[in-house]
Amino acid sequence: MQIEWLSFLTDPVLRAPTLGCMLMGLAAGVVGVVIFLRKESLLGESLSHAAFPGAILGAFVGGLLGSDEDLSSLIILAGAAFTAYLSIFFIRWLVTRLRIHSDAALCFTLAATFGIGVTLASHMQFSDPALYRNMLALLYGQAATMTDFHVYLYGALAAVVILLAALFRKEIQITSFDRTYASSLMLPVKIIEAVFFALAVLAVIIGIRSVGVVLMSAMLIAPPAAARQFSNRFTTLLFLSGIFGILSGYLGNILSVTGSQELSLLFPNTRLSLPTGPVIVTISALLCFGALLFAPERGLASRAWRIARFRYKCLRENILKCIWRHTKDYSTTIPLLQEHLNATSLTLLIALHHLKQEGWLEKNGKGSWKLTSDGIVKAAKIVRLHRLWEVYLADYLGIGAERVHRSAEEMEHIITPELEASLTRLLKDPKVDPHKQPIPAADTGKTL
Amino acid sequence: MNPYTDTTFWQFFNVLFQRLGTLLTGGPIASDELQIAVLSLVAISGALIGPFLILRKMTMLANALSHTILIGIALAFLVSPSDDLYAHLPLFMVAAVLTGLATAFITEFFTSTLRLQADASTGLTFTSLFALGILLVTLLTRNAHIGTEIVMGNVDALQISDMYWAALIAAINIVIILLFFKEYTLTTFDKALAVSLGFSPAFFSYLLMTQVSITVVSGFRAVGVLMVLALLTAPALTARLITHKLKHLILYSILIGIIGAFMGVALSRHILSVQNIALSTAGVTVCVLTFIFILAALIKVGRSKFAR
Repeated sequence: MQIEWLSFLTDPVLRAPTLGCMLMGLAAGVVGVVIFLRKESLLGESLSHAAFPGAILGAFVGGLLGSDEDLSSLIILAGAAFTAYLSIFFIRWLVTRLRIHSDAALCFTLAATFGIGVTLASHMQFSDPALYRNMLALLYGQAATMTDFHVYLYGALAAVVILLAALFRKEIQITSFDRTYASSLMLPVKIIEAVFFALAVLAVIIGIRSVGVVLMSAMLIAPPAAARQFSNRFTTLLFLSGIFGILSGYLGNILSVTGSQELSLLFPNTRLSLPTGPVIVTISALLCFGALLFAPERGLASRAWRIARFRYKCLRENILKCIWRHTKDYSTTIPLLQEHLNATSLTLLIALHHLKQEGWLEKNGKGSWKLTSDGIVKAAKIVRLHRLWEVYLADYLGIGAERVHRSAEEMEHIITPELEASLTRLLKDPKVDPHKQPIPAADTGKTL
Repeated sequence: MNPYTDTTFWQFFNVLFQRLGTLLTGGPIASDELQIAVLSLVAISGALIGPFLILRKMTMLANALSHTILIGIALAFLVSPSDDLYAHLPLFMVAAVLTGLATAFITEFFTSTLRLQADASTGLTFTSLFALGILLVTLLTRNAHIGTEIVMGNVDALQISDMYWAALIAAINIVIILLFFKEYTLTTFDKALAVSLGFSPAFFSYLLMTQVSITVVSGFRAVGVLMVLALLTAPALTARLITHKLKHLILYSILIGIIGAFMGVALSRHILSVQNIALSTAGVTVCVLTFIFILAALIKVGRSKFAR
């Protein structure tokens, strides 16, 4: 089916939910960075559940006042913020006064506050079914009910979040990493922490309508965890994490709307739909997972690729070294190589072809390979590095001659030309290694 | 006809006391009694493992398990679809234990292989799996309200079979704790000594997580997957305010949990009779347990001030 990417930002019906979710992602992403760096990812879980009873109280009060749609949304947010903030004090009381470990305190708080919320919600079940349905929508969010008013509201709240984060960037950074140091700088640690908690509460309540209280904490974890894969700098993290959050909100809306349309075609009379909140969370988790796997520096796949490339380079150098050391006429075959190297025939074949391309080897009849003149110098160089390192270990670090070979096996692939030059100077260009083997000369690769 | 209709809090216990004879001789069980029985049994299970979870600082892991179990439920549903989501409790048990272990492995994979910090790994694993679970369950059951039921619980839908299941799970928990009490204590308090004596702390961690998984399954119909955590933590935390002896801790937790179950059901009945408001019994039970905890905590804090 055709997805109209831009229509989600302009269409009068789709615009408000999409923008609302994007603003939620932005705020959650920015605040999430601080929570992430403080290693308090589970705080968001407790805060979001604690927002539930407050949101319901807010809805109840709004209903009593007979306020219109917009005002009651505001009251719901205020109530949610109030109980979420209360829960912070409660958790702190549990941890400091009653010496309960924070892990248990967080868990108890989220279960208890959620229970209170469920009790309050059930109060409405029969007296005001419509209101009750709206409250249940707070569990997993109901982005579709957002209006332009919500967009302005979340825009304002997100602006507050970004402003606070920008203003207190340095202070929050210092306080989060090192409280003692922050106190020694005469920073008002208590006030800064209060600002941080206010930020966390704001981020949570912005998400109530789009993602819901049960899943909101994911939006505080996934974007910063993804951003962390690309940068170490606090400001960059804030920026990237916000972008990831916005992206999750945007893509989540598109997927949920188009997916729901597909479903209604498949099952015309079930009124089945893809709930927006869970879809947004799933997408942000997938983005994070992708970053954990493929981020250029720290991603798992990138790390594995780097390791594999280095191993392959070592193998190629070992082949050259092997031919130089173990053959008379500098020619070899795969079975001969396998006597000394632990590699499959296929790997060796690929490596040999690669070496031929690089000009170190030439074909020498069927299944046989020979070092070129450049290859001889190159191989001698590797042997030279190996033996230089052995001399260094034996003479300068006093390591026994029988124990230096292993380290040299690794170092021969790493030693740079500068390091080789310094070693040559330091060791006064030695001619034999600790095992009395000759060391090839630096430029010609000839041995005495 | 429910004998508890229109009873107040105290009348409730009167009626219950009078009916004890019929109940013990296998008379028909009323829905309120069924609720008390299921909640008490889940509370017993929770009280047996809660103290160990708290002492091992594993409660958030229990929270993670209670979320991810949804995936297991969805998969069990895939294996044998039916109109009633709750028709296959035995299958759920197996699926829950498997997903519980899978959660632990996935979290471990995130921390050690993907090098994500531990707290974020836990948080990311359970929230994303829960979101996925909600999507799966919604699509598979084609029931848009299923996600709500899963977290809210519904005591009114309980059947007698739920009580048998809860009893079985409580019995399993009792047997495991009795059998391995020494090992659990040792691996909780002194890992090094446990290893040197040949007990694997990892094995007992996994065993404990398996117990959490089956306990959550036994309770999720009654109180929903999130409020089971209250039955796991609130009684144990309250007991910790009173005592520091492990055996007493477990016994007190069981007692507090059962009191919570009785009071929760009686109180919601009272509110229905007097005010004509049908509150969620699970929610009321959690509120009662929370209230008991806060009361005990305040008394303790007040006393320590007084003692100075």
